[in-house]
Amino acid sequence: MFSHLFVAYVFIYVCLGLIGLGIMLLVQMKISHNREQQRREYYEQKHHDYFVYVQAHLGDDAELKLPPGKLKPLERSVIQDKFIEWIEQFKGDYRNRLIRLCREAGFVEADLKALGSFRYGRRLAAAYRLGGMRAEEAVPGLLKMLKKGKYNSISIIIARSIAKAANRPEDLLDMLRSLLSHGKPIHHLAADILLETGLDAGSILLKLLDDPDPALVKVGLVAMWGQAVPEVMPVLGRLVGAKEKDVRAEAVKLYLSTNPALKDETIVQLMTDRDWEVRAEAAKALGQLHAAGSIPLLVKALQDASWKVRHNSAESLAALGEAGFEALCQAAVTGTGIQREAALHRIGLVMEAEQKHGAIEQMVAYNKKRLIHDRYFGVKQPVKRMTGVAAVGGDYTA
Amino acid sequence: MPESLTLERKQQEGLYHNLEERLNKTFPELCGVMFLYCPGPPQLESLVSEFLRQETGSDIEVLKDASTSTLAVLLPGSTLNQAHYQALLLKRHLEETVPEADPRITLTVFPGQVDPTPGVLKQMAESARLGPSADIHIFTKEEAASEPGRILIVDNDDTIREFLTIRLNMQGYETLEALDGTSALELIEKWEPDLVLTELNLYGIDGLPFINQIQKLPVENTPKIVVLTEQRVERTISQCFQHGVDDYITKPFSPVELDARIHRCFQ
Amino acid sequence: MLVYGTVAIYYVMFVNILYFAIMGLSFRSIGTIARRAKYSSYQTLSGSELVPSVSLLVPAYNEELTIIENVYCLMTLNYPTYEVIVINDGSSDDTLSVLIKEFKLEKMHNPEIRGTIETQNVRGIYHNPDYPHLFIIDKENGGKADSLNAGINFSHYPLISSIDADSLLEKDALIRMARMYMENPEETVAIGGDVRIANGCLIENGAVKRVSLPRKIWPMFQSIEYLKAFLGGRIGWSRMNGLIIVSGAFGLFRKDYVIAVGGYRGGYPGEDMNIIIKLHRYMLSHKIPYKVAFCPEAVCWTQAPDTYKIISNQRMRWGRGNLKNMIENRGMFLNPKYKVMGLITVPYNVLFETLNPYFRITGLLALAGYTFLDMTHWRILLTFMLLNFLSGYLLSVGAVILEEIAFRRYKKLSDLWKMLLFSALKFVGYHQLGVLWRVQGHIQYLRKNNSWGTMTRQSWKEESETASTA
Repeated sequence: MFSHLFVAYVFIYVCLGLIGLGIMLLVQMKISHNREQQRREYYEQKHHDYFVYVQAHLGDDAELKLPPGKLKPLERSVIQDKFIEWIEQFKGDYRNRLIRLCREAGFVEADLKALGSFRYGRRLAAAYRLGGMRAEEAVPGLLKMLKKGKYNSISIIIARSIAKAANRPEDLLDMLRSLLSHGKPIHHLAADILLETGLDAGSILLKLLDDPDPALVKVGLVAMWGQAVPEVMPVLGRLVGAKEKDVRAEAVKLYLSTNPALKDETIVQLMTDRDWEVRAEAAKALGQLHAAGSIPLLVKALQDASWKVRHNSAESLAALGEAGFEALCQAAVTGTGIQREAALHRIGLVMEAEQKHGAIEQMVAYNKKRLIHDRYFGVKQPVKRMTGVAAVGGDYTA
Repeated sequence: MPESLTLERKQQEGLYHNLEERLNKTFPELCGVMFLYCPGPPQLESLVSEFLRQETGSDIEVLKDASTSTLAVLLPGSTLNQAHYQALLLKRHLEETVPEADPRITLTVFPGQVDPTPGVLKQMAESARLGPSADIHIFTKEEAASEPGRILIVDNDDTIREFLTIRLNMQGYETLEALDGTSALELIEKWEPDLVLTELNLYGIDGLPFINQIQKLPVENTPKIVVLTEQRVERTISQCFQHGVDDYITKPFSPVELDARIHRCFQ
Repeated sequence: MLVYGTVAIYYVMFVNILYFAIMGLSFRSIGTIARRAKYSSYQTLSGSELVPSVSLLVPAYNEELTIIENVYCLMTLNYPTYEVIVINDGSSDDTLSVLIKEFKLEKMHNPEIRGTIETQNVRGIYHNPDYPHLFIIDKENGGKADSLNAGINFSHYPLISSIDADSLLEKDALIRMARMYMENPEETVAIGGDVRIANGCLIENGAVKRVSLPRKIWPMFQSIEYLKAFLGGRIGWSRMNGLIIVSGAFGLFRKDYVIAVGGYRGGYPGEDMNIIIKLHRYMLSHKIPYKVAFCPEAVCWTQAPDTYKIISNQRMRWGRGNLKNMIENRGMFLNPKYKVMGLITVPYNVLFETLNPYFRITGLLALAGYTFLDMTHWRILLTFMLLNFLSGYLLSVGAVILEEIAFRRYKKLSDLWKMLLFSALKFVGYHQLGVLWRVQGHIQYLRKNNSWGTMTRQSWKEESETASTA
C-alpha cells in the first residue's frame, strides 16, 4: 500500500515543481511584456514629431528624410510598424513613397535576413512585415515557406504576404496553385487574398479564367464579384458550358448580372438546368429581360423544388407588368401547394408595396393591378398571409 | 432635444439675421458694431447700455446672444474711430467696476471693409469670445474672406484620424475629431461643420443609423457626408447613397483623390 | 475502506493526467493560435463581398435592462453582411416595448418565414427600414431552444450564430470566426467562441473599453473557471475533433446541418451541448468529413451571476442538462463508430465530469473514515487532499500561461497575483460547492424537477459605474 502512496508523493512533488516553474515563467513573461509595451509607447511619443513630418510631406515630390538619430532595434520596429500601417491604408503615390522610405531605412534588408532565421516565430514575423512593405525580393523565399508547411492558418498569412509583395503574375498564380493544392474549397478566401495584389486585376483574372485547373478558374470567377471587368466577358460565355457545377453556377451568375441579350433556347436551357443555383439566377434575370416567352417558363418554375427558384420566379413575374401579374394571380387561384403559396406571397408584397407610392404613373399601375387582383380574388377578400410550411428541401442560402 | 433648447437655438439664429436686418434697414448710413464678451458679471447688458448711453447720449442698442453670452452693441452714426474710442472707454470702465473682468471686444463699422452678413457677424462674435489676446480687435476684410471650411472627422482608428487631421489642416480646413457616433452627433450640433468625414464601422451606433441621425439634427445647414470606410459590399454602398450620402470612398484610399472629392463637396 | 481510498487516489491522479494531456494539446496549438491572432489581417475581409453572411440569433427572456445595449453592440460589429434577429420569448417584462420604442419598430405585414422547424406560435415580426438589418420576432414562451428554432425559421443567411442576450461581442469577434470558417468551408459545421466574464470591466458604447478582473468574489472564481475550461480544455478538445460543447453564448453554425439534425432540442437545459452531440452523430453516421472547431481569439463578454442563489441555480441547471445529455447519448459510450467522440470524449465526460463528484466524495469519505479509525494514517488523507489541490492549481497556472502567451487581455501584474491567489482560494469552498451543485442538479433530474430559476440582470450601466469608480 505504501508503494501507492509513494506514487502519489512523486505526483505531488512533480506538481509542486511545475507550479513553481509555471509561476516564475508567468511573472517573467508578464513583466517583460509590460516593459516592452511601455517602451513602445515611449518610442511612439518620442518620434511623434517625425511621424507628423512624414504625414505632412508625403504629398511632396521632395525626398523624405529618414528618422533622425541612432535607433535601437525596438525603435526601428515601432517606426516600421507605423510605416506598414500607413502603407496598408493608402493607395497610389503615397504608398509608393512609403515603400521607398522603408527600403532606404533598411527595414526590407533586415527582414530579408530574418527570413532565414532559425526560429520559426522570427521567420513568420519577417514574412508578415515583408508583405506589409510590398518587398518583391522576398517572394521566392515566401513561396518556399508556403510550399514547405502543411495547410493551416499560417499558410494563409504567408499567402497574403506573397499577394501583397508579388510583382509578377506568375508568382501569384504559383501561390494560388500551392494554396489550392491541398484540396480545400477555399476559393472565397483565395479570391480575397488575390485581390490584395497591386498588379492589374483584369489581366490576372483573364489568366485565371483560362487556366486548366478548375480550382483556379473558380477563384477567378469568385474574385470578379462586385468588380466590373469588361475584358473577361467573352470568356464567361465559354464557361457557362463548363462541367464543374460550381464553376458553371458562378459563371452564369456573373454573366446574367450584366443583363446580356439571351437567345430563347439559352433561356429554356438555363431554366431547366440541373443546378438550382443556375435556375434561380436565370429566373431572377428574366425579370429584367422582358423576353417574350418568359412568362410561361416562370409560371412553371413556381413549382420548382427549390425555394429560391420559386421566390425569384414570383419576383420576376411581378416585375413583368400586368401580364406577369395576371399570370401570378392565376397561379395563385388555380394552382396548389407550393406554387400557390409562392404566388400568394408575392402578390401580397406587391399590393402592400404599391400602396405606399405617390407618383401618378405608379398609382395608375397599381390601380391596374388592383383591378386584376380583385377580378381573381373578389373585392372584399383581403390577401392572406401564408406563413405556412414550405416544401421539404427548403432554401438554405440567402 | 428638449423644446427649450430648440427655441433657444432658433433665437440665436434669429439674432444674427435680426442684426443684419437692423443694420441694413434701420441704420443703413453708418453704424458701428461692437461684440463684447465678458464672462462673469450679471446684468452685463444693463451695465453696458447705461454706461454707453451716458457717454454718447445717442440711442445705443444692446442685443444679447444668450447661448454664448456675447453682447452685440450697435452704435449708430459712429465712425470706426469713434467706435474704437467708445470701446476703449467701455473696457476700462468694466475693468474698474467689475472685479476680475476680462472683457474682449471685436468691432467694425458698416458699411466698411466687410458686409454685414450673418456669417460675418457670427464670425465677429466668435472672434470676440475665442480671441487669444485681450486687446481690442478690429475686424478686417482678410479675416472675413478666409472662412475656412469645417470638417468633422469620425473614425475610431487613431492613425487615420491623425493623418486626416494633419492633411486637411494643411489645406486650410478647420477640423475636429470624434471617436464614435454619439460624440460625433454632439459635436455636429455644437460646432456645425460643413462636412462630416466618417467611417461606417463605429462604436455605439452603426453607420447607416448614424447617417440618418445626422440628417435629422436641428442644425441650420445639414453637413455634407463623405463616407471613408473599409466596407465594399455593394448593397451597403447603395444603401448609403439612398440615405443621402454625398460620396463614398473605400479604404485603402488615395489621399489625392480624397482631397479632390472633398473639394468638390465644398463647391 | 482503505482499498477504496487507494482507488480514489488513483482515480484522482488518472483524471488529472487526462486533464494535463488535454491541456498539453492546448499548449501545442497555442503558438499557432497566437501567431494567427497577431498576423491575420482583417482589413480586407471585414468589408468584402466574399465573406459568408451570418444571421445572429438572440433569444431574450425578460432582458429589458440589458437588451438595448446588447443590440447596439451587435449592430456595430465589424462585418460586411449580417443581420440581427432578436427573439422575444414571451417576456413578462418590457423587453419588447423597450426595443420597439428605442428603434421605432413597426410590425411587418408579410414576413417570409422559410423554415420548417416546429415552434411555439410566432405573434409577429418587427422591423424598421432605417435599421435594415435588425428584426425582432415576438413569440409565445417556449424556452431558449424554441426561440433559436424560431429564429432559424426566419433567418435569411446560410450561417447562424446563437448569442445570449447578455453577451457583448468584441468588434472583431465575428469576422475572426468567419475567417476560421473560410479556411475550411465544407468541413466546418460549428465554431465556438471564447466566453469571458465582463463583471468589473468598464463598458461604454456597447463595448468593453477597459478590461479588468471582477471585484466580487463569485465572478472572480468564475473567471478562473472559464479560463481553465476554455483555454485549457476546449482548445485541446477541438484539436482532436472531440469538442462536446460550443457555448450558447457565442457559437457559429452551418444552418443546413442544424436543420438536418432537427434544430435545437427544447424543453430541457443543456441544448448547447445537445446540438453539438447531435451534429457529431449526424456527420459520423453519414460518414461526412467534418470539424467542430474552437476559435479562442473571438471573444464574447458575458455577465456572470454574483449571488449564491443565481449561481447555484445555474450550476444545478448545467448538472441536470449534462446528465440528461449523457443518458440520452449513452449509445455513444465507447462505441468505435463514433471515433474520438465515442471512444474518448463521451467516456471522459461520463466518468470524469458527470460521475466525478461521486468518486471524489466517496473517496474522501473513505479516507476520512480510515483516518478516524487509526489516526497515524493522517498522511493518506493529507495526500489525497494535496493531490486534488495541487493538480487543480497546476491546471489553473497552465491556463493563465496560455492566456499570457496568446491573448494578454489582463494587463496588470496585480491582476496576475489576483488570479493566482483566487485559483488557490477556489479549493477552500468554491470547488466543493461546485461538486455539491452538480449533485443537486442530478437529484433534480431524477426528481424530474425542471424549473429554470431566474437570472436577475444588473444593468450594464451599474456595472460600468462601479468599474469606473474602481
